[in-house]
Amino acid sequence: MITLERQQLVIRFPEIHPHAEARISFQRTLRIPDDGRDYPLPPGMGEFPLHHIEDYPKKLPAKWAQHGGVFMPMYQSEALWLSFGTGNHDYPIALQIAAGKINAVNAEPWQEDMQFEPQGYVVTNQQPWLDGFCIEKGKIRQFVAAPLGEGVTVEEQITGEAEFGGIQIKAWPLKADVYEEMLLNRPSFHGEYGLDMVMACMCEESAPMDMGLGMGGSMKQEVYDDEFRPKDWDTNVSSRCYVHLLNSISYAQVTGHLPPRQPYEAADYAAAGLPWFDYYSDQASIDGSEVLKNLKTWKDFQGEKKEQSVNIEPKTVIHLEGKSGTGRPVSQGDHF
Amino acid sequence: MNFGELVRKSRLKAQSEDRKYSLRKTAVRVGIQPSYLSKIEREELPPPGEEVICKLSEDLGLDTDVMLAMAGKVSTELLEVIRSRPELFAKLLRELKSAPDHAVLKLVREVRDGEW
Repeated sequence: MITLERQQLVIRFPEIHPHAEARISFQRTLRIPDDGRDYPLPPGMGEFPLHHIEDYPKKLPAKWAQHGGVFMPMYQSEALWLSFGTGNHDYPIALQIAAGKINAVNAEPWQEDMQFEPQGYVVTNQQPWLDGFCIEKGKIRQFVAAPLGEGVTVEEQITGEAEFGGIQIKAWPLKADVYEEMLLNRPSFHGEYGLDMVMACMCEESAPMDMGLGMGGSMKQEVYDDEFRPKDWDTNVSSRCYVHLLNSISYAQVTGHLPPRQPYEAADYAAAGLPWFDYYSDQASIDGSEVLKNLKTWKDFQGEKKEQSVNIEPKTVIHLEGKSGTGRPVSQGDHF
Repeated sequence: MNFGELVRKSRLKAQSEDRKYSLRKTAVRVGIQPSYLSKIEREELPPPGEEVICKLSEDLGLDTDVMLAMAGKVSTELLEVIRSRPELFAKLLRELKSAPDHAVLKLVREVRDGEW
């Protein structure tokens, strides 16, 4: 079951184990420059607000109601990262993350079954966050919002169609007996390694409110190998959720709430000398996708509107270590 | 485990990995005197008010609702929910007080999955 609690998707499998829980939040962040350099991790600037689709049935596209799930507002070319938590315990949950039904880890089309080879998921107690599409070992390209229909999204570049947009998530729990055995073999495991981490009539399917994810600048980030065996996963049970991306311009008209403030610019952040982050874990990581690596990035589509070159030099990089209990700081974004 | 003990254990565990969780630094972040935090941890004083508990739970990565409950308090947010429909929620809570966790969870609104 998936619930929406304090702007987080909370995934639980109480029928499998009372500890089987994962938490996903969607963090606003800086869009890093796409200038050929590999940037460290930008900070979290607060969570995107999430809403149930069925709370606004007459103000959202009909196909969104068909998909179910939740929606959140994003500005065009705004970046985000997904933060993964494990609740009060450290029960491993496998998460397939897709954008426009294209797997962000291995570029395969959306599948209802777990994809073990090449690995098409992350594991919550091993992977504290995901900032983008995995293009090669130790490197991702940042998730950047783009309107559907302009050919910018990864979905459109791979399939040639602008059909889905949004973010799709599917979760599978580890088998309960494997988890219990893990607790026995690692007595300090239990609780010790948390990685704490616009109008009512705009309801036609072609409404420009629908966004997808394209690729932004390059960032240093590992997507870790699954340390369990395929048979350790309980593939008989799963939960899934469709996260629609609503153009922030439409947010107030749909919800009656003020949209989030405009995202901060990376140049302003760096100029203020505020910290960036680096994360180290000794776990092995996956190779990434050649398909994703060869796609065009958001900058490639800007043409005459190409962003001006700005000198961004992350001066302060804070190094975080895996399983230290020290997560990547998340602020409300109003501190500079 | 009582409130003070939970705060102390959680803080010391965090401090073993990061010095910023010293008594003094934690108290400064939360906006209270170190001596006050020390007395809370040693149960020489009762748990602080809701605002401090919320800051403490956020700083130490603990569940705010659990912390408030251990301090014998209910969050203002939950009180407002109950006050908005007192008869309904009083009845609901009494009905659920002995129900197992999985039965309570079934009442929580799920994110609906559709066709895609």
